[in-house]
Amino acid sequence: MSEPAAAVSTAPPVARTALAFPGPRRIVDGWELTARHATGDLVLADLGPLVKLTVRGPAEGAVRAALGTGFGRTARHDEGALAGALVVGAGPGEWLVLGPAGTGGELLAATRAVVADSGEFASVVDVTHGRALVRLTGAAAPALLAKVCAIDLADRVVPDGSAFRSSVARVVTDVVRDDIRDELDDPAGDGTARTRSYLLHCERSSGQYLADALVDAGTEYGIEVGAPPSAR
Amino acid sequence: MTRRTVGTGDCRLGSRPGEVIDRSRTLEFRWNGAVHRAHPGDTIASALAAAGVRVFSRSYKYHRPRGLLTADILDPGCLLQVGDEPNVRGAHRLAEAGMDVRSQNTWPSLRYDVKAVNQVAGRFLATGFYYKTFIKPERLWPAYERVLRRFVHAGEVPPDGEQLYYDKRYAHPDVLVAGGGPAGMAAAVAAARAGATVMLVEQEHQLGGHLRWGDADDLRVRAELVAAVEAEPGIEVLTDSVVAARYDDNWLAVVQRGLPHVAERLVKARAGTLVVAAGLIERPYVFAGNDLPGVMLSTAVRRLLNLYSVRPGQRAVVVTANPEGDAAATDLRAAGVDVVEVDARHGRTVVRAAGRGGVEAVELSDGSRLDADLLVTATGWTAPTSLLNMSGSNPVYRPDAARFVPDPAATPDTVIAVGGIAGDGTLEELVAHAEAAGREAAARALSLAAAHARIRPTSPGGADAAERAPEPVAPLGLRRHPELFFATPIGGFVDMSEDVSAKDILTAVQEGYDSSELVKRYTTATMGPAQGKLETVNTVALVAHATGSTIAETGATTWRPMYTPVTLGALAGRRFEPVRHSPMQPWHEAHRAAPLVAGQWIRPEHYGDPAAEVRNVRAGVGIIDVTPIGKLDLQGPDVPKLLNLLYVNKWSQLGVGRVRYGVMCADDGVVLDDGVTGRLGEHHYLMSTTSSGAGTVWEWAENWLQTEHPDWRVHITPVTTAFASINVAGPRSRELLARLTDVDLANEAFGYMNVRTGTIAGVADCVLWRIGFTGELSYELHVPASYGLHVWESLMAAGADLGVAPFGVEAQRILRLEKGHLIVGQDTDGLTKAYSAGLAWAVKLDKPDFVGKPELQWQSEHDDHPRLVGLQPLDPTVVPEEASQIISDGGHIVGRITSSRMSPTLGRSICLGQVDAHLADAGTRLTVRLRDGRDTLVEVMAEHAHFDPEGERQRV
Amino acid sequence: MMLLPCPNCGARNVSEFRYVGEAKTRPDPTTATPQEWRRHLYLHRNPAGWTRETWYHGSGCRRYFAIERNTVDNAVRTAGATS
Repeated sequence: MSEPAAAVSTAPPVARTALAFPGPRRIVDGWELTARHATGDLVLADLGPLVKLTVRGPAEGAVRAALGTGFGRTARHDEGALAGALVVGAGPGEWLVLGPAGTGGELLAATRAVVADSGEFASVVDVTHGRALVRLTGAAAPALLAKVCAIDLADRVVPDGSAFRSSVARVVTDVVRDDIRDELDDPAGDGTARTRSYLLHCERSSGQYLADALVDAGTEYGIEVGAPPSAR
Repeated sequence: MTRRTVGTGDCRLGSRPGEVIDRSRTLEFRWNGAVHRAHPGDTIASALAAAGVRVFSRSYKYHRPRGLLTADILDPGCLLQVGDEPNVRGAHRLAEAGMDVRSQNTWPSLRYDVKAVNQVAGRFLATGFYYKTFIKPERLWPAYERVLRRFVHAGEVPPDGEQLYYDKRYAHPDVLVAGGGPAGMAAAVAAARAGATVMLVEQEHQLGGHLRWGDADDLRVRAELVAAVEAEPGIEVLTDSVVAARYDDNWLAVVQRGLPHVAERLVKARAGTLVVAAGLIERPYVFAGNDLPGVMLSTAVRRLLNLYSVRPGQRAVVVTANPEGDAAATDLRAAGVDVVEVDARHGRTVVRAAGRGGVEAVELSDGSRLDADLLVTATGWTAPTSLLNMSGSNPVYRPDAARFVPDPAATPDTVIAVGGIAGDGTLEELVAHAEAAGREAAARALSLAAAHARIRPTSPGGADAAERAPEPVAPLGLRRHPELFFATPIGGFVDMSEDVSAKDILTAVQEGYDSSELVKRYTTATMGPAQGKLETVNTVALVAHATGSTIAETGATTWRPMYTPVTLGALAGRRFEPVRHSPMQPWHEAHRAAPLVAGQWIRPEHYGDPAAEVRNVRAGVGIIDVTPIGKLDLQGPDVPKLLNLLYVNKWSQLGVGRVRYGVMCADDGVVLDDGVTGRLGEHHYLMSTTSSGAGTVWEWAENWLQTEHPDWRVHITPVTTAFASINVAGPRSRELLARLTDVDLANEAFGYMNVRTGTIAGVADCVLWRIGFTGELSYELHVPASYGLHVWESLMAAGADLGVAPFGVEAQRILRLEKGHLIVGQDTDGLTKAYSAGLAWAVKLDKPDFVGKPELQWQSEHDDHPRLVGLQPLDPTVVPEEASQIISDGGHIVGRITSSRMSPTLGRSICLGQVDAHLADAGTRLTVRLRDGRDTLVEVMAEHAHFDPEGERQRV
Repeated sequence: MMLLPCPNCGARNVSEFRYVGEAKTRPDPTTATPQEWRRHLYLHRNPAGWTRETWYHGSGCRRYFAIERNTVDNAVRTAGATS
């Protein structure tokens, strides 16, 4: 026998990422984030609010074609149903779809539609809240990662636009090389200058530990923690 | 105490072409309290030698004075304490301003030894004294330790010493060259020019190897090679670093020292090809008095003269059997030292060095006696083949060359030896050989990289080099060298680090230890800081002499990692110990939760008073953070097949919106995990597992899907931390939750063992299970994790008037024990099959197949297995410790307590335990042996549950 | 540390993997005698030489796969999906 629900007003929900860094915070679109802006040459940014979906399906087939990439590579969708999304081939028949914060509903629906249209046995799970996501940007990023990850990060092994999963500081982590356009230092003036940048994606509960490990390893390179350097 | 300042000049020569010191600057450091001066580039030992210091330490067992022997990192005579750091290699470590350097464990002082020490020591220090003394009586062990400690030749680590940061990194060179002498540099340059990335590792502070202390031609070649190395961007040079070990597939441990930010760094390098260019190490000669200060190797003398411009003596006898010894004599003469050369190629050698505290005279094999303060020996070389041994290649002895050499046939294709370790030749021949080897090393590495690239998905461009078969590198020849190991009559020391004398080796053989490996362990020869690089071959030669066999027959001891002693800090390095936190962790910390480490998780054990937390759940309402509970999202039409396979119970009939408790067993019938699984939609399930079993169950399920049933359409996604999980438990839990959710909580609408989805505290997509581990009315909320803290705080705020309070893992364990719910892994172990865990009700043997069925079928037909039972001590105040044994009248173990607590609800102690089958009937009284040795009686209960066995409270 | 060639990810440090065991066929539980079943559960060939075994790439692709490995020198001969 349920008693009539007493009307209790609660504060509007505030979402928090897996990471908390010392210092002031601010609320952006319902997410509480660090208010610091990092300006150094090596920056660790919390991308926790990004929409994160995992897709499973046949490694080769219609789902793969629609997502635009396979295991080990990435595809950035500038148009179409998944416009704005970065698709990462995270495993054989396994993808990670990353979208801008706040687009969860639409991206989930669009991805589900892609899967439904494929006619293949495939599934989509929203793991936005279940994973930690950071971006490490700067020329020293590979040197830092070499302290915590046993994978060779040379261009010939992990070029821009590639992804792998391995142990990072003993946490199983998706590492995505996603260099960003360097607008300030672009000698050719044609937008081809790139700054090394990696996305690191792991299970949420290990996120703070992983970020702390990265900051510890990055101390000698002057790592700073703050808001992401670009919208992505 | 008066301070004495000692200049840099007493034995310092004028400027020399190859010197590595910067004479324009001077720095000060302390040596046993006195201030000394050094130039940048000086080692501690070279600065002290320049000031005329001859004695650096007292030896390990006999406290004999010891000076410089090798004047490099291997020097057994100058292990020093620098500040807090013990065992610093004084002939390698560069002098720095302000260093506080002391000789180690000199008792009472370096200069004044106590004769009594030797006399006291005498009875202990016979060959194999470790094994012969200190055995009985045991009660004297503490006294032995105190005495032994005084003799130990090691520094001190102050417990409050400075904390240093040790770093670690990975590296992936195509070619790693161990050794930066001429061959190593030539190989590195050739490999880099062939397109390989190269890591060049040199133990000393500069590249160049022996060329550094050579003549003008040597210095010129060195400069050219160094310039070539520096011109190659593909070569990373690590000086003051050592390749300490080689493991499978060229996994190499490189210890890097002398770095600005960290004490040391362990580089874990995976190389395509390892080029071993470790050079040759000059071998000491064994004769009476060979450990006196003033007895030096020819390389030591040339280092002191040509690198540090230090004159090592005034009157020298040079015993030489090779051109390098001849060169030392030449260098000494050029420095103004009186030199008498003894050519050991023609049978004349030294038999004894005499003197008090240092060499004063030298006796030769022809009976002559020469006054001298310096005795230089150049009697042969040892190839430090450690890295080759670690690659599976055992060296072979070549009597014509008087040394062990690598066996190329036994060396894997991924390892190539160059330079003196591989053979002899002119400098040009050695460099040409190394260049050929470097090119081949690059080709092999690039071929291997291409093979790896073929199956690596991140580089779809494929191979960037063709795969090719390894080609042999034309070998070097060997130079003839006389076999010179020890003088006759036999005397002196074979291992100066360990104070093992030549006679100790003979004694060991006489006592029956007639192989190198046995002698090594019995005498500890080769087990000191030089790790055999100075001592092994002489030891083998003495064993061969004593056993009447050849050196080749006797064989060397096995070289194992590490190549050189490595600090524990370097090995420990940066520590990776992942910890996991729930989204509510900041709240727990702010409310002084006692942390409990459970696997990687940090969880609240309690918030101050677990018994009060229990009472609050039984009487009102409590909330607990159960985020670590494993959660797996299961999707697909074949999920019921998977559930029926993994769980021992039946799953085909579970309706949408229902949850069911399930038990998993392994193929041997042993209980693996338990939990509830709910059906959220037609083809969508959410499985929960134990907190510790989350990873195991996921991998277990994937194993069955991938290896046995790849045709089943099931996708598993781990979502353990996609949700923050909160259990709201207690008779007032419905009242609390109703204030925050749009889900109809009425018992008719949302009954026991059901699942709903809805909004909680404004957060959509929450999953609510109505289940009960605590035995009370309770709801387990799975909230999108980013909102976990918001929902937790909302529950605390909304339930303030209801007395809501958090409870921790300890209260939950008490609550579940009151209800008799088992915990897999605590009340079961690696042998507990389902029937022994009281789970007969769950096992459905009429299912066609499930994991564990054959063994459970067997168990169901046999009645001899242990049983899990509820137990209550007759004395309600006694709580038998968990794992206490239950014993029979005859003293046999017939069971054990698996869980025990004081129940705040019942006011008495309660237990679960496993007992033998014949003791499991209700009312049976059993004896429990407590930890303090006393026995107590417990009674077997009819039910596992001590409280509300009918389960009425959770169904309201 | 040896390298293990994952058929999906390429060569990785063996610490990324979990050794599952000798690859073998599970007997039909409906027809296997208890003796056959226990032989399957508890008896392993454990040869000094080539053996076919199952590994799980837990820190990578999270796939189970079979390889043939020589237990004497850790040479790996073939790699392929278990299925």
